[in-house]
Amino acid sequence: MRSGTETKSGERSESAAVSSNWFGDWPRAPGYLVVIGYLALTLLVARSSLNVQSVVLVAAVFGVLAISLDLVAGMLGLYSLGQGGFFAIGAYLTAIAASDYDVNVFLPLPVVVVVTGLLGMAIGALSLRVSGLYFSITTFIFTLVLTVLATDSTITRGTQGLLGPVFPDFPDALAPLGAPVAWCAMLALLMAAALVWNIRRSPLYPVLLSIRDAEPFAEAAGVRTSLVKVAIFGLSAAMAGSAGWVFSFIGVVSPGQFDWSVSLNILVMVLVGGIDTTLGPIVGTAFVTMFPALVNINPWLQEILYGALSIVAITVFPEGVVGLAKRRLGGGSGAGETEPSAEGPSAFAPGGVPISTSGGSTGPVGRADGREVIVECRGVEFSYALGPRVLRNVDLSVHRGHIHGLIGPNGSGKSTLANIIAGRLHPQSGTIFVKGRQVDGLAPSERARRGLRRTFQAAELVRNLTTTQNVLVGLYSEVPGIARRAAIWTMLASGRRDMTSMSTRAEEALGSVGAAQWTNKQVGDVPHGIEQLTQLASVCVAGPDIIVLDEPATGLSAREVEHLAQILTALKSRGVTMIIIEHQTRFLFPLCDQVTVLNAGEVVLTGSSDEVRVNPTVRQVYLGE
Amino acid sequence: MFQFILSGLAIGAIYGLIGMALSITFYVTRVINFAQGQAMMAAIMVTAAIASAGYPLLLAIVAGLASACAIAVVCYIVAVRPILAFDRFSFGWLVSTVGFAVVVENAAAYIWGPTSRAFPQILNETGIHIFSAVLTGQQLLGIGAAVSFAAAFELLRKRTLLGKLAMAVAADPEMASAIGANTTAFAAAAFAISGLFAGLAGVLIGPSTFANPYLGDTYGTYGFIAMMIGGGTEKPLAGMLGGFLLGVLSEGANALIDSRASDWFPFLVLVVILILTPKGLFSSGKWRFRLRSATLGRA
Repeated sequence: MRSGTETKSGERSESAAVSSNWFGDWPRAPGYLVVIGYLALTLLVARSSLNVQSVVLVAAVFGVLAISLDLVAGMLGLYSLGQGGFFAIGAYLTAIAASDYDVNVFLPLPVVVVVTGLLGMAIGALSLRVSGLYFSITTFIFTLVLTVLATDSTITRGTQGLLGPVFPDFPDALAPLGAPVAWCAMLALLMAAALVWNIRRSPLYPVLLSIRDAEPFAEAAGVRTSLVKVAIFGLSAAMAGSAGWVFSFIGVVSPGQFDWSVSLNILVMVLVGGIDTTLGPIVGTAFVTMFPALVNINPWLQEILYGALSIVAITVFPEGVVGLAKRRLGGGSGAGETEPSAEGPSAFAPGGVPISTSGGSTGPVGRADGREVIVECRGVEFSYALGPRVLRNVDLSVHRGHIHGLIGPNGSGKSTLANIIAGRLHPQSGTIFVKGRQVDGLAPSERARRGLRRTFQAAELVRNLTTTQNVLVGLYSEVPGIARRAAIWTMLASGRRDMTSMSTRAEEALGSVGAAQWTNKQVGDVPHGIEQLTQLASVCVAGPDIIVLDEPATGLSAREVEHLAQILTALKSRGVTMIIIEHQTRFLFPLCDQVTVLNAGEVVLTGSSDEVRVNPTVRQVYLGE
Repeated sequence: MFQFILSGLAIGAIYGLIGMALSITFYVTRVINFAQGQAMMAAIMVTAAIASAGYPLLLAIVAGLASACAIAVVCYIVAVRPILAFDRFSFGWLVSTVGFAVVVENAAAYIWGPTSRAFPQILNETGIHIFSAVLTGQQLLGIGAAVSFAAAFELLRKRTLLGKLAMAVAADPEMASAIGANTTAFAAAAFAISGLFAGLAGVLIGPSTFANPYLGDTYGTYGFIAMMIGGGTEKPLAGMLGGFLLGVLSEGANALIDSRASDWFPFLVLVVILILTPKGLFSSGKWRFRLRSATLGRA
């Protein structure tokens, strides 16, 4: 009945890694058959009439553009309206180089890739100051400005534009292959699709989605989110630029080809086809580019129909055609399965399974003596923008191997202190030491890489990935070169090997916190307690030295709280230091070596659980006596 | 000097009206209506068609304004509401409002033909001398109308319960509906008001542009720049100020650089402003607070 647990032994790593994709079975199906089929189709196009070619080749170029947009919009949630601009740069650079300087047509390609890539990264870095909609607006303005420049400057020949170079012919021996430019465009599309397909099957994919949906979670897992965003947008821009290089062989290079409506049309293609799917952008492109050829009526009526259809498509199928098919076919099995009940005896496997610290991670060394201070706050002062002071001169020393409780009434500054220790907030004054090193000014991702991980009060996870995939995010900084290898991931033996070992570690981590049965479930479908455990697993999987837990027992049932206590005790026995914020003192006190009480931003007392429990001031401010 | 400032303010009033129209809908729904320019165009086309059929000018103008309002509201119902109902933070409206703009523009071209038609002159033929400068009555009317509509809107927004409720709807629709605000009605009203502003811009500029179905794109783009320079994404009135600034900059560039400089100069200014202050010039009263919140957002 529960296929997830039964097939685990054989193919679990692979199925876990790709099960959220529609084509989850494809890696096992011979991928080269698809490629051969595509090449046969290319041969057919290359030998067909010019009329057919002109439609198909333009569609292929826009397919590359749509895929490049899906890379940033689908996986990172950055809706770029600058793809038309990068496209224009690629086409203009090639056409100008060929007509004014008479260079070989292949020479501009690396130039285009570098120029558009760097420009994309610059724009990305600029607009990262303000995110979301402002990213769209900034890139939109970039396209507007480029169109204006192309219209008004002489080197681009104004509104008339210029004719691109002719693609060189095949040598005679290859003549039967047909038109070389067709091969060029179709291979470009194949490469773009393969690139994104590989990323989607690499461990980078859950990382990208976590940046899109739960950026604090990604940062806390050691992902340098800004760097990743800028780099991926640079890659997307370079893809769009390369599409421009191909386009210069096909059409006239003039401002009208690249104005802002082109950028929006590319977005139409992605959204109509299905965002964040492999086939969606291609299906959408086929619809948009073939539309004028298929519907042959009065041009105004044709435009009206096109506008109306795009409204209908986006309002009736917000996930796009492929997204809808994916949900009907792929998602159906997940929802239809009998789910293990959260409260049933099977919800949690017994805890205490040793957590894997294998794989070269810097696990804690042995049982500590409890003397060494591993996290220290000195004189921390903090206030939000214009509000009152939230923390006043807070000193806190946490010893290696201890469980350090942090209690206090609501609004006493516990979560703020946790955020300061983890690096999400920076204090106005005061210093934080982690493992004896001053970490002031270090981003959360850097602190995570130094072995300090944290969980969030409200679990921040990617809802449409499986729990295993979410835990994979926690391993990102532990496995070297994920981002560098992602574009050709499935072709690398090391990639496949790492994916297997990472998935195994992720599932072991889930097992060790007692969520083994949920490894193939999407986070959106699991109960709250499992979300919390998934969060904990994503922290534990990296074998950290220090874990900051922000109200881990919130919303858990009594049985789940009991189980959580077992897990934390097991972690402690391996020498992990923990700072736990919690209101449920009955759960917290037995675990803690030390407890610090905060009230109104000041430390009331630090001492053992028993000392805190009997302290009259604490009883007054916190226990309400 | 004086001349280009005055004529800059005159054209800036038009940009500002459209910029403010964009800001008003953005303010309440967090949506940039790419069909805003087309609402302006509809007002021009309908006014021209009714006036040329021999009806009184006032009737034609009222019908033009009404048609712009109607188009904006239909845009909301057809292209915005279903998207936001599915996911409040979705970007699908980028596609649907552009789709709506395509439909309106091509419908106008289909009905009235793609060429320009005559538009009633209103006050365009009366010249008024102000010191050394000359403005047409129409230009003065434009400045006056823009200022008074902007002021009226600000009063409505800040001094009435309705305006405050609208602010609440903008900040948090779910919370606002929990205290009894009909978020749909507020959003529809915001679109109607934005249509009124855009339509007004159309009726004011119509005598100089004549009636052409493809006007929407150009003026929509300039209205968008006005909103972004000013910081209309934060505060509707800033869209109007941005419009005036844009108008003066364009006319100034034409007068002082060369006669075609208005094609590119405003874009340069826009880029510089957005690099310096990403949320626009007039978005928030206090510089210090704005800088600080920007750094917080990054942390």
